[in-house]
Order: sequence, then structure tokens, then C-alpha cells
Amino acid sequence: MTKRQTRMFFAAGTTLFAVVFIALTIDSHRQFGRLTHEEAITPAVVAGKHVWHRKNCVNCHTLLGEGAYFAPDLTKITQLRGEPYLREFLKDPSRYYSEEQHGRLMPNQNLSEDDITNLIAFFTWVSNIDNNGWPPRPIVVSAATPQGIMLGTKPPGAASSEPVALGEALFGRTPPACFSCHSTQPNVQIVGPSLAGVSTRVADIIKNPAYTGKARTPEEYIRESIENPNAYVVPGSTFSAAGKSIMPAIYHDMLKPEDIDHLVAYLATLK
Amino acid sequence: MRYRSQAVAYPYFVVALLLYGLQIAFGLLAVVKYLGPDPIKGWLPFDVTKEIHTNVLIVWVLTGFMGAGYWLVPEESRTELHSPKLAYIALALWTLVALTAVVGYLFGWTAGNKLLEQPLPVKLGIVVVMLMFLYNLGMTIWKAKRYTTTEAILMAGLVMTALLYLPALLEFRNYTVAIFYRWWTVHLWVEGVWEMIQGALLAYLLIRLSGIDREVMEKWLYVIVGLTFISGLLGTAHHYYYVGTPSYWLPLGGFFSALEPLVFLAMSAYAYSAIRRSGMSHPNTLALHWTLGSALFSALGAGLLGLAHTWPAVNKWTHGTLITPMHGHPAFFGAYVMIVLAVITYALPSLTGHSESERESKVGLWAFWLQVGGMFGMTMAFAAAGISQTYLERILGFGYLETQAKIQVHFLMLLATGILFALGVALFLWDFFFLAPSKPQPVTVATPSPQPVR
Repeated sequence: MTKRQTRMFFAAGTTLFAVVFIALTIDSHRQFGRLTHEEAITPAVVAGKHVWHRKNCVNCHTLLGEGAYFAPDLTKITQLRGEPYLREFLKDPSRYYSEEQHGRLMPNQNLSEDDITNLIAFFTWVSNIDNNGWPPRPIVVSAATPQGIMLGTKPPGAASSEPVALGEALFGRTPPACFSCHSTQPNVQIVGPSLAGVSTRVADIIKNPAYTGKARTPEEYIRESIENPNAYVVPGSTFSAAGKSIMPAIYHDMLKPEDIDHLVAYLATLK
Repeated sequence: MRYRSQAVAYPYFVVALLLYGLQIAFGLLAVVKYLGPDPIKGWLPFDVTKEIHTNVLIVWVLTGFMGAGYWLVPEESRTELHSPKLAYIALALWTLVALTAVVGYLFGWTAGNKLLEQPLPVKLGIVVVMLMFLYNLGMTIWKAKRYTTTEAILMAGLVMTALLYLPALLEFRNYTVAIFYRWWTVHLWVEGVWEMIQGALLAYLLIRLSGIDREVMEKWLYVIVGLTFISGLLGTAHHYYYVGTPSYWLPLGGFFSALEPLVFLAMSAYAYSAIRRSGMSHPNTLALHWTLGSALFSALGAGLLGLAHTWPAVNKWTHGTLITPMHGHPAFFGAYVMIVLAVITYALPSLTGHSESERESKVGLWAFWLQVGGMFGMTMAFAAAGISQTYLERILGFGYLETQAKIQVHFLMLLATGILFALGVALFLWDFFFLAPSKPQPVTVATPSPQPVR
């Protein structure tokens, strides 16, 4: 090749691919609105994005997998940890984590109530972006043991069509992401109480005069806790704030009645 | 030094190297924080440490590029620089802007956007200095009415660097769109126009160090730069997999990023063939080390290790893990740190009035091998940490925090190899500042180059 030919190779190659790149950029703009649910970008979401930038969150955390690797990914955080928990956590991270136990602790960012509301609105919007199915399985902040080992991209499947098996599979799926706050191992507390032996334990709770709910059997109690977490709040400094459970009261509407039946069936086997 | 005004490169190199030292100090601090617990997180948390580490890197590499530009353009255009005074003013302003940014970060003044954390006034300052720099070099070439291909590619790379910074000045309501254009700056810098700069500096150094025919080198330079954009423009797609962009970016990213290593393989082949012809006979063996090192190490770090996690099917699992810094560290070091250090090492003897053979110092060689060895070790430590993290956290489903606790040993390795690397940097600075004499260079009269110039 002569120098002239190589110069042509450079000029033509660069021009051609620049044109293709710009054409695809224009096409991407046509699709951003749909893929990111642009109509859901409320002033609160925009304000939350400003908090995200102002507090330099991206230099510890990742969001959509981008950022730094010093703290957990937050892409789906609002699906994994409900709003009441996030609110309490953001007010004072040291209530839930300590360097002694977890190795790292997020410094308190001194966020106002509005900042927190907006930030959660921003995270909620991000969690709904259609991003080609990433992550292929939930990236959780903390988990006692893996929720079933699998190499595929599908959410955990049920071992059989029995209600207990279906409930166990649902427990490990996102949403509802029960596993991301509740361990099923004894004495392992992630955010909410461990559900190991829950069926036996709640039999005692129901008998206790301090119990404020309406359940009479462990099954009823478990159902009540899922559908209305505030019916009775288990004592424990991190389980509630101002008398309200930090478990989101969203599952009654989110889950189908048979899903709740399956979850109850599964959890009732934990004795 | 053929032209007196090439001396303006020296203070640029001084600033670049001081910032290099600062960058490494903050890098070491960041690893220590990974090991935890962190008693100073209240006033110097990880995010600030990491932000300074990466921002100072970008600033000092750019400072090095500017110094290299001031060194190379007068020589290639065979004229004095348009305005040395403007170059000094630009450097003073640049240093002021950089220090303002660093101090600002310490006090939480940040735009909080990865790698583009500079607050708007700082960004505007950067643009102003870049314009002063491009104007000065542009006028130099304009007045000389003469330029070489190597120089033209270098200038094109620098002009495009400035242009591609412009999207970073914009603010987007939609976070996905903001990410989309952030990569126009970051990706098209490091996997586009900076490769042009690296290729041009490599061509210049190889021509000078090996005496290879300029025509041959410049012919290959066009091929390399052509390959850079053929692969690199659509290679941007590997940042558009999982951020809310259309799905056609996935196959495009896989295909074109797989082509990206070709650029670095071509650069290695180019360096190898040049040196094969002339041997390592140039007296400035240190500069030869850094030049060849840049060509080879970037093939490893930017080429092969980039390829290691660029396929969508792999990246789906590794996206957002320590696999990314496994690629990022050797890529930046091989392609940009080493090429800047190569230019500095090459130019230093004549900048400080030294005969070239005297530059073969033991300290200089230790500085080279400790940095190369340390960076290789760090890459391996990041790889081990990243692979473990991907397997435990992404595939088995362990929690982030449990996973980090299990991979602590790799952070210890990272710290150990990081200390070796830092020693290499310290020796380089010591060699630069204290061993090279600083007596003024007797000015030599410009002699016409025997080589034909196009």
C-alpha cells in the first residue's frame, strides 16, 4: 500500500463509521423515551438525580452497573429493599451496618427528608428502565446464603407445582425479593427478622397479650404480615421506625392471591 | 533540542509528574480503604479519594500530552513556537484549575458524574486552556507553512479531544441520555482520539529512536488510526449494553470491540519492526524501554484485557465488578502513562542539557521495571478479585458485602503490588527531579533535517 492509499483507508473508514454511529445515535434518541419511560421523569426524579450527583454517590456505588466498586449496585435497590427501609437507612446508615460486622459503612450523607424522597423517586425510575434485562439475577447487598445455585438467566424455578415449592421459588424471586431482607437461616438477620422457625415462633407471638393483630393460627399470622406489615410489628430497633414496620405494605396489591397462598404455605413449613 | 522554544515542554512535564505522584498517593489510599476499617472516612471518604485518583490521572496525562505537543510541533514544523509566553500562561492557568478541582473535591464540590466530576467552572477553565494550547500550536504550524503526517495526526487527536469534551458541558434530564453522551467524551477519548495521540507520539519516538524511514512509519500510522476509528467508533456500543439503550448495541458492541485489540497489535508490530531494523542502538535506552513498553503493555491492558470482558454474554455477568479496573488500570497505564513517560524520557536529556548516553541510569531502569512489574501484579490482583466477585456475587448470588469480605486477600495483593508500583513512580520522580542536572541547555542552532517532510 502507498501512503496515499493508507490515508484514504483512514479517511474513508473513519467517515463511514462516524456516519453509521451518528445514524444509530439518532435512532437511539427515538427509542429513549419508550425504553426509559421518559413520561415518568417527574420533578422529584430530576431532583433525586441532582442529589445523586451532588453527593458523589457514583464514586462508591454503581448504578446501571456504572460507577465505583466500593459499594453495592443500586439499579434495582427499590425493588430489593422497600421505601420505608431505604428512608431509615439513608437517615442513618449506621443503624443497619457497622464496619466491625460488615467491613464497610456508608458515611452519613446528612440528607433532608426531601432529598431522601427525591432520591428514592430517582432510584424507582431507574429500576424500571428497560436495560436489556440486566442484571441477569439480582445483585443483593447482603445475603446469608445463595438463594439456590444456578447458572442460567431465568429466575429460580419451582421444583414442582406443589404450593410449598411454588412459594419457595417465589420467595427467591425479584419481585417480591423476600430473600433480600429475610434470611431463612437461624440467627442471620439481614434487614428483617430471620424466618427460620417462623411457624413455631409466631405460635407464641399470637398467644402473647402484646400481639395486636387478628391472626389465630401461624398461617393467618404469616398472611397478615405479608398483606399488612403494620398489623403487628415485631420488637427490634431496626424493624420499625416511629411504630411503623419498615417492610413495604405493597405486597397485598403486588402479588396475586394464589402467590400469597404459596408463600404462606412455604413459610408455614419453616418450623 | 533543536528550537529554543521547545523548552516550554519542561515545566509541563514537571507539573504532569508532580500530579502523577499525587494520583498514586490517592490510589494507595483507596486500596487501604478497601481493606478497611476506615478511620478517616468522616473527612476523606472513599468517593473523594477515588475521584481525585481518577481526575488527577486525566489531568496529568493531558498535561503530558500538551508538553509533548509543545516539544514535538516546533521540531516537526521546523520553527519556533508561536508564543512561549502564552504557553506559560496556559500552564499557570491549567495548574490553578487542576488544584482548584482537587481542593474542591476535598470539600465536596463535585459534579458527581463518573470521570467528569469537574464542576462547570472547572470544565470551562479546562476548555479555555485547551483553546489557548491549540491556538498556540495551530499558529506555529500556520506560520511555518509546513507540517508532517505525524504532527497532523497528533494535532487532529488534540483538537478532537477538545471537541469531544463539549458534550460533558451539557446537562441531561434523562440519566440514560446523560450516560450515552458521557461516553462520547470518555470512550471516544480513551478508545478513539487519545489512541491517535498515542499512535502519533509512538511514530515520532520510533522515527527518532530507531531512525526508521518516516514514510514507512507514517503509512502505518494512517492504518493504525484508521483501525482505531473503524473499531472504536462503534466500539462505544460496549458501554451501551445495559443502560437503557436499544438492544442492537449489544451485537454491535461485541463485534466492533473485538476488533479494537487490532489497533494495539498493529502498534506492537509497528514498534517491533522498527526496532528490529535498527536494534537497541539509540543511546537513550530508557526512552526505548518506555516506547516499546507502551506499545506492548497497551496491547495487553487495552487490547487483550478489554477483549476479556467486552462480549455481551460475558459482560452481562462482569458489568460493574472489579473486572473493569482489571482492564482500566493496565489500559490507561500502557497506552497513556507510558507514552507520556516515553516522551518525557526522550526529551529530558536535551531539556536539561545532558548528553543522551548519560540517561542510561540504574535508577531510571528500576523505575521502569518496578512500574511495569507493579502494574502487572495489580492487574492480576484485580483479575483475581474480579473473577471471584463475579462468581460469588453474580452467579452464586452471595451478597455484595459477604463477597467483598471473602475477596479481601486480593486487596492485600493489590496493596503489595501497588506499593511496588508506587516505588517505581517515586524513583522516576527522583530521577527526573534530582538526578538529571538542571543546568540550562546551550542553545543549538536549528539544523535542517535530512529527511523529506510532507
